[in-house]
Amino acid sequence: MKRLFVVLFCLFSVVIAFAQKSKKPAVLKKDSTAITVQHFNDAAIKKYAADPEFQYVEGQKAEPSWWDRFWYWFWQWLGDLLSSAGLSHPSIKYILVGLAAIGGLFLILKSAGLLKRTAKKVSLPYQESLENIHEIDFDSEIENAIALRNFRLAVRLQYLKCLKQLSDAGLINWQIDKTNTAYYYELTNPVQREAFGSITRRFEYVWYGDFPIDEHAFGNINVLFQQFKTKL
Amino acid sequence: MEEGQEELFEQRTDLSRLNNAVEQIKATLGKIIVGQQETIDLVIAGILADGHILIEGVPGVAKTLTAKLVAKAIDAAYSRIQFTPDLMPSDILGTPVFNPKTTEFEFKHGPIFGNIILIDEINRAPAKTQSALFEVMEERQLTIDGTTYKMDEPFLVLATQNPVEQEGTYRLPEAQLDRFLFKIEVKYPTLEEEIAIISQQHQQRTAEQITHIEPVLSAQDIVALREQVRGFHVEPKILEFVAKIIIETRNNKSLFLGGSPRASLAIINAAKALAAIKGRDFITPDDVIWAAPHVLRHRIMLTPDKEMEGATPDDVINQIIHKIEIPR
Repeated sequence: MKRLFVVLFCLFSVVIAFAQKSKKPAVLKKDSTAITVQHFNDAAIKKYAADPEFQYVEGQKAEPSWWDRFWYWFWQWLGDLLSSAGLSHPSIKYILVGLAAIGGLFLILKSAGLLKRTAKKVSLPYQESLENIHEIDFDSEIENAIALRNFRLAVRLQYLKCLKQLSDAGLINWQIDKTNTAYYYELTNPVQREAFGSITRRFEYVWYGDFPIDEHAFGNINVLFQQFKTKL
Repeated sequence: MEEGQEELFEQRTDLSRLNNAVEQIKATLGKIIVGQQETIDLVIAGILADGHILIEGVPGVAKTLTAKLVAKAIDAAYSRIQFTPDLMPSDILGTPVFNPKTTEFEFKHGPIFGNIILIDEINRAPAKTQSALFEVMEERQLTIDGTTYKMDEPFLVLATQNPVEQEGTYRLPEAQLDRFLFKIEVKYPTLEEEIAIISQQHQQRTAEQITHIEPVLSAQDIVALREQVRGFHVEPKILEFVAKIIIETRNNKSLFLGGSPRASLAIINAAKALAAIKGRDFITPDDVIWAAPHVLRHRIMLTPDKEMEGATPDDVINQIIHKIEIPR
């Protein structure tokens, strides 16, 4: 391989040497073209100079306002504070300010009543939600059911209302896949648990068992529901 | 929640006889079997729901003992078949035998003809023999040589099996599994239960007690109780709840095979039986949720990837139930 390179190198060196030998001497030619001197157009310069778009004079700096001075002071103070705490990374102060802003916003919304606990939303994995107990106007629905003498429905609505009250009080975690027994075992207070068990049995007999219920029987059951409310 | 402590409504169904029978069976089995309350409840529910029961567990957890005790507690024709790999269909069903005196073939009844049939280690026999049980388990009748033989009521198959991972076992065909109302998985006893079992055996009480079990129910009693349970009330919303569970098993991505319509019926019947045990003549969503895993776990099949992930049918059933809203 090395030999091949040596042969090729010698061959090309010889060719270049012969080419240089055959080059003719250069002849210097004289340029006889007439030269015309160009001048600036003063009118055009004046026109452009008069155009405010081309006037680049810097405006004078205004005195900083009290707001600017406050922020200057604030950033200086925060920087000094963080430096003294050993937190000198420039992004930290922005993170702290962001958190403070979120906290402030939270307090404002809370004080305005916009963050009041509302109905727990049913999450999507469920096939369907027949009804959300937090969205029913129980009092008017119960009144309607009683007016129509549909006491079975009235018992059901009273029971759902109880579940809502338990959920609002934070005593149960209402979810659509939980049975009455699951809620029963979620109650830790024995008095509440016993009372809930009692109304649950009545609800189940009326609703699932289709036991007939008249006005008198409904009155008795309704008393239990009212008593249950006082135990929450 | 304790039920039946107070008279809530005027009872429309007299359940006293049924409750008495249930208590008697529980008391009888409880004398010998330590723990396993759920297994006993499920066996009683199976009897009341007119369903066959498959009991699965590793060797030595009292599967056969439970089945034997149940059979002894019922005053009815009882037979036991030990399934083996060389068992033939005719060994179970019976076969025509030539009678030289009459010069005619006479049908010799096999051990399947009875009221309570204990099939021990059912998955030791191959699919050919298992297939012999298809007709009799579902239709309560047998057709041999063009003649149909009706089974006497009640007809209950109590089968035991070892888990399929055990040596020398076969997986039962899906068609046969579907004919069992429940598959009960018997777990190992707890420490306290284990001590009680050893103590009982040490005092040599168990064997003596088994021989002294008095039947507490007759075949006629069972037929009457089943009739009563069949008439229990089921709210339409609960029917819909059961249907949704079954439909979901058919659409669930974790399952290769979902529940059949027979599974829907089985859940309702099992829930009715449980309601009866609890002293109610109607079913609640709790009854359905209790029954569903036992009814479905042998009827569904996981996809291969789910099996490889180590998921069990009970895991998937549990997920499915919790996807569906409780009717209320």
